[in-house]
Amino acid sequence: MSFLESYAYYVGAFGLILIGLLVILVKRNLIKIIIGLSILDTGVNLFLISVGYLASGTAPIFSREGIDSGSMVDPVPQALVLTAIVIGVAVLALALGLAVRLYQNYGTLDMRKIKELKW
Amino acid sequence: MVSPVLLIAVPLGLAFLVPLISLVSRRAAMLVPVVACLFNLVVAITLMPGVLDQPVVEKIGGFPPPFCINLYAGPVGVLFAALIALAGLGIAVYAMAYIRTGPVDRYHLLYLLLLVGATGVVLTGDVFNLFVFFEILCISSYALVAYMGNKSGLEASVKYLIQGAVGSGLLLMGIGLLYGQFGTLNMADIANRMGSVNQVSVFVPLALIISGLGVEAAIFPLNAWLPDAHSSAPSSISAILSGIAIEVGLYAMVRMIFTVFGATSILMFMVFLGALTLLLGELCAFAQSNVKRMLAYSSIGQIGLILFALAMATSYSVAGGLFQLLSHTLSKALLFLAAGYMIYRSGSMEISSLHGMGKRMPLTSLAFTIGAFSLVGLPPFVGFPSKFLIVRAALARQQSIFTILLGFVLLGTLIEGAYFFRVVQAIYFKKGSGETGRSYAPAVALVSMFIFAALIIFVGIYPQPVADAVGSAATELLDRAEYVRSVLQ
Repeated sequence: MSFLESYAYYVGAFGLILIGLLVILVKRNLIKIIIGLSILDTGVNLFLISVGYLASGTAPIFSREGIDSGSMVDPVPQALVLTAIVIGVAVLALALGLAVRLYQNYGTLDMRKIKELKW
Repeated sequence: MVSPVLLIAVPLGLAFLVPLISLVSRRAAMLVPVVACLFNLVVAITLMPGVLDQPVVEKIGGFPPPFCINLYAGPVGVLFAALIALAGLGIAVYAMAYIRTGPVDRYHLLYLLLLVGATGVVLTGDVFNLFVFFEILCISSYALVAYMGNKSGLEASVKYLIQGAVGSGLLLMGIGLLYGQFGTLNMADIANRMGSVNQVSVFVPLALIISGLGVEAAIFPLNAWLPDAHSSAPSSISAILSGIAIEVGLYAMVRMIFTVFGATSILMFMVFLGALTLLLGELCAFAQSNVKRMLAYSSIGQIGLILFALAMATSYSVAGGLFQLLSHTLSKALLFLAAGYMIYRSGSMEISSLHGMGKRMPLTSLAFTIGAFSLVGLPPFVGFPSKFLIVRAALARQQSIFTILLGFVLLGTLIEGAYFFRVVQAIYFKKGSGETGRSYAPAVALVSMFIFAALIIFVGIYPQPVADAVGSAATELLDRAEYVRSVLQ
């Protein structure tokens, strides 16, 4: 149990990443594949956050009295995740936009039936 | 002294001015990418002599390196930036005539963003910054592949987006693991501390980063998206994707392997992967009857060749690989641009529809032929010195394994010659059906093709300045200690 307690965030993050990958690989519906991408992104973001997270840590404000640097939460991964979320939203919006156009053109979202292009 | 920040900041600013300018005049908006590329080309060429002596490390935000995001404008970065600006300029001129339908202003906006992303990747010295610029490059290329809004373009774009997004996820995970291990995102700082940790523990981030970047670099077996995306996009976009986007992915990968990880043990694997990518790409290209798909598969083959040369990691072979990269950019851009108007006129992408093109579109056919001969590696075109350097470098290793692999590489080149000569034969020596009237590509497009053709012949005849530049770029890529010292000093 102690393993799960100390690594709960990592287990959760990699669990989400694997679920996302599974959804992308198995599902045929484009919207579900995009949901899979979103879960994958969330997993990666959670992983980045947990790299710098400290249970019962404090905000990294040096000007406050009586704070030692050992108990601060690392702010860099949080800044990274903020950027990564924005990028994820852009990809998601583009993917959904393409899905709308794809549906208008093909009349289906089933990726098995959309194969104009071949080897 | 001009600052390398301008290479990123000015085109980025201009990119978002495009929609505003197009409110006033649509023609002026079309000129914005040309102006931005011209500016970048001038800045890169002005920076070049300086960085050959001493790389410029630009500290952003005023903190000293490991704490700030820094740009590293060494010979590699500036050479790539100049190449991106040059190819971008030629293709932007071509697009002024070629892109007529659809939301034209957004095309130019996304095109500039793509170039900004590519320039950022080659100049940055920070792994997360690299990820961000990489995403700018990728997202704009997903959108541009679907620009025509037709069935095949949309399908190719969705496939590209899904594979690219998974690749980016893996890359970001690798970067997160690196940060967890070293507590820094600065490439030089990570490289500096790489020796202090167990090599096994950095293997997982290395594998994640290589597979993440390998999707964009189209390394076998991560390249399933490329033939669809490159053949369904508008020809000007195929040219920039084949000429710039995949090369930038490859650069990022090589920079990670050589500089950040210093992973010499993985190089032999990459050499094999390169030779395999080359052979498979060329074999698939040989089997194609669609000219744009053939060119797309040929790009995979060329990327394999470049990876093969870079991963041999001697100063000759890396110089040869970078030279080949430059020659591939020029030749493949020219091929796609010429093919664009041939397809436009004949209305079909089949090679059989190109019969008799030599009479109907003489100048465009000549441009295609120059590009094809250069890619195959015939003198006096630029492909000859670059392939020659790679062959010499592989023989100089004096190990039988490299000689055998070189045999396969030469076999790949032979196949390449076979299918390109087949197309050239179809263009000049087969009778066209029906119409025989002459028609020309617009003058603007011909000017852009002429720029590329002239460069291919000029560098092919007089390769020494370029060979010197790639020589010092190779030294920079291979010299980790110097990179770390010049950033952190």
